[in-house]
Amino acid sequence: MRRRIVITGMGTVNPLGHDVESTWRALLECRSGISKTELFDASTYPTTFSAQVKGYDLSKDLGAEHKHPTAGRNCQFALGAARQAWRHAGLEGNTSLDRTRLGIYLGSGEGSLDFWNLTNCMVDAWDGDHLDTVQWAKLAVQYMDLHREVEQESNMTVAHLAAEFEARGPSFNVLTACAASTQALGEASEQIRHGDADVVVSGGAHSMIHPYGVTGFNRLTALSTRNDEVETASRPFDLTRDGFVLGEGASVLILEEYEHAMARGATIHAEIIGYGASADAFRITDQDPEGDGAATSMRAALSDAGLEPKDIDYVSAHGTGTKQNDQVETRAIKAVFGERAKQVPVSSVKSMLGHLIAAAGATELITCILAIRDQVLPPTTNLHTPDPDCDLDYVPNEPRKANVKTVMSNSFGFGGQNNTLIIR
Amino acid sequence: MADRRVGITGLGVVAPTALGAEDYWRSLLDGARAVKTVDLFDASGFDCTIGGQLDDFSARKFVPKHYRKAVKVMARDIEIAVAAAELAFRDAGIRTRASEDGEVDVDPKRLGCNIGAGLICTDLEELGQAVTTALVDGRLDLKAWGRGGMDNLTPLWLLKYLPNMLSCHVTIIHGAEGPSNCITCGDPSGILAVGESTRLIAHGRADVVVAGGAESKLNPMGLLRQGLLRRLCVSRNDHPAEACRPFDAAHDGTVIGEGGGVLILEEIERARQRGARIHAEIVGFGAAADPTALDVLKPAAGGLSIAAGKALADAGITAEQVDLLVAHGTGVPAEDRAEADAWAAALGSAVDKPAAVALAGGLGSTFAGSGGIALATAAMALNQGVVPGTVNFEKPADGVPLNLATEARQREMTYALVGSFTVGGQAGACVLKKCEA
Repeated sequence: MRRRIVITGMGTVNPLGHDVESTWRALLECRSGISKTELFDASTYPTTFSAQVKGYDLSKDLGAEHKHPTAGRNCQFALGAARQAWRHAGLEGNTSLDRTRLGIYLGSGEGSLDFWNLTNCMVDAWDGDHLDTVQWAKLAVQYMDLHREVEQESNMTVAHLAAEFEARGPSFNVLTACAASTQALGEASEQIRHGDADVVVSGGAHSMIHPYGVTGFNRLTALSTRNDEVETASRPFDLTRDGFVLGEGASVLILEEYEHAMARGATIHAEIIGYGASADAFRITDQDPEGDGAATSMRAALSDAGLEPKDIDYVSAHGTGTKQNDQVETRAIKAVFGERAKQVPVSSVKSMLGHLIAAAGATELITCILAIRDQVLPPTTNLHTPDPDCDLDYVPNEPRKANVKTVMSNSFGFGGQNNTLIIR
Repeated sequence: MADRRVGITGLGVVAPTALGAEDYWRSLLDGARAVKTVDLFDASGFDCTIGGQLDDFSARKFVPKHYRKAVKVMARDIEIAVAAAELAFRDAGIRTRASEDGEVDVDPKRLGCNIGAGLICTDLEELGQAVTTALVDGRLDLKAWGRGGMDNLTPLWLLKYLPNMLSCHVTIIHGAEGPSNCITCGDPSGILAVGESTRLIAHGRADVVVAGGAESKLNPMGLLRQGLLRRLCVSRNDHPAEACRPFDAAHDGTVIGEGGGVLILEEIERARQRGARIHAEIVGFGAAADPTALDVLKPAAGGLSIAAGKALADAGITAEQVDLLVAHGTGVPAEDRAEADAWAAALGSAVDKPAAVALAGGLGSTFAGSGGIALATAAMALNQGVVPGTVNFEKPADGVPLNLATEARQREMTYALVGSFTVGGQAGACVLKKCEA
């Protein structure tokens, strides 16, 4: 018989809250996590705002004495979220868990680069019109620090979590851009299904709110530049949308084999019943305008779950607020759901949270679980001007009571990697 | 439903010693040594100035004409992956939309892609050209940068360095619309990608997957970071070819390298029906971690023994049945010792039975590229009945019980075990089985 995968714990650190419940309250109160960028001086950047995690203190979740003094920003978020999830799952103090069957599967971004040291070293080793690599080599050993460099490797967040929970099972990190944590959760489910692990700590973490991260997205013209209306700048599916809002944070879930969870009397918050993945195979810069790749991912998840589109009560959209994504996603939902597309509610919490990139999918999956728990859909805020190309029910501007049993969550990455999860 | 079986039908190797699986194999049997003084950039200011470098390499020869422009937005890691994938499809005789006549004989939606990557370093020369336009008093001024300095970077700058772009370019070139992933777990990334892809096919989520890994550390930042980790050999800059000595008594550190190994994995009945050559069958996979890895200056190979044990159990074979061991063998003394201990823990008293080989002596460390290259090596060794020699291995280091040899050996073999681990503690292992003709 097919092994079933349930979710027994959740944790999050994000721009709207440093735990699950406060985040959920903020979303239902339609609060915005977006403000002027304070992490560095972005005042002349095309985009001067972002969705920042403010005032997070890792000792809140790990205690003052923890073993992660070298953890970088996104790794701290991941550790906090993971410890919350671990506690939520009732695993605190558990000594009977077989650690070789405890996995870690994250979609964690690269760690923040050591911006000023990297930059100053480069500038100081600049010789007229080129980098003097000999001089750079000499300066770099003075400027750069072992831990700040090593912590940028995206597998280090996994290493920190493995250390925190003494995990000796399968340990993976994937970095499929904005789809990474949805992919991580999907592939982690596959590992449990196959029997490689019984419990997997899974989710994502990312922070690209640093001078070069924002530069990269600004050069791609992917970010909103609504500098005079920052709180309402993230406008998924609205006609006036002009790009996504860069966010940061982490969300981690405890995935567990059903019988394993039952045997230890764990509370089951949801079950992952379908996972689909696909690639656009179109362009590195654009999505397939027909939404074929996105539709393939949704169909694969439905097929994996053995469901029909009519069985889906709510779709948590990728809904970034870029011109292209929202149009393509709408088209893809129509292709998959056919007649029912206009009846199924679709919303994007990125309107409030911003886009947490690699951490987005896991954070959104948590909101799906809470939607089922509380029978209420989080809204798409800032949706006031309808776009003729985006004509679905996006749960505009206020939460809605609804009968929600089965939910689909989408994530699509830069470069065309698409992932869909279905839970109930 | 029973799991479907998975064969390797295509090998794509981009190594400092040779391009293409067949040339690579010949170079291995010749004991080729690619490590030399780095000249991709002037490395003379570093303590270690040598590495395994791809000379005159460009992906341009490996992409369709209409895609050549895109090579400009590929970091070197991406170029290596793209070339290795093309070589693998050619070797498999599978025609994708990149084929010259446009004939496609694989369903795009059943073709997956999973290519492991490292942390791709931004080109400091390119970034510096832009940054130096926005200096005030010799320091980058963020206001000047935001106001226009950043405009000196190409609009697609970010996309050159995203690790998922290895997979994304390959999916776009070959029209692979199935599941696509990018594993970033250091050295074992390639093995983990191949293992995960094997499951994809086994469970029916794809029929063919292009899987492996690629990485280049041949840049100042790569050299710096490995130096900070104290992993590099700094005593043999004058004798580069002899510098990296996996498991040898005189091992004194590793050297950076670059390369990629990408395999075509295929559901075995599909491969048989089209009369494909099956290099080997993937019969076992295991992954694990060492939770002591936060002390990054110490090797964390504990995951390797667990991963290897899981891979053997998954294959349903005992340690005694392993005929070939493709070890990781970085040449860093503490890592070699820790790895030897891990193999001993996994294989017990049979640890010295399989013929063992390690590849970094000739190639340098190829990081995320190493797993795919090691798996390709294992597949060819099983087929040819030849175990390549381990370059620079002369006399075993204390406590290394592995059955290594300097020279190539002939040997009839059925099962190969391939495994590696990384700074950060993740580990992966695969078991390959020779495919009966």
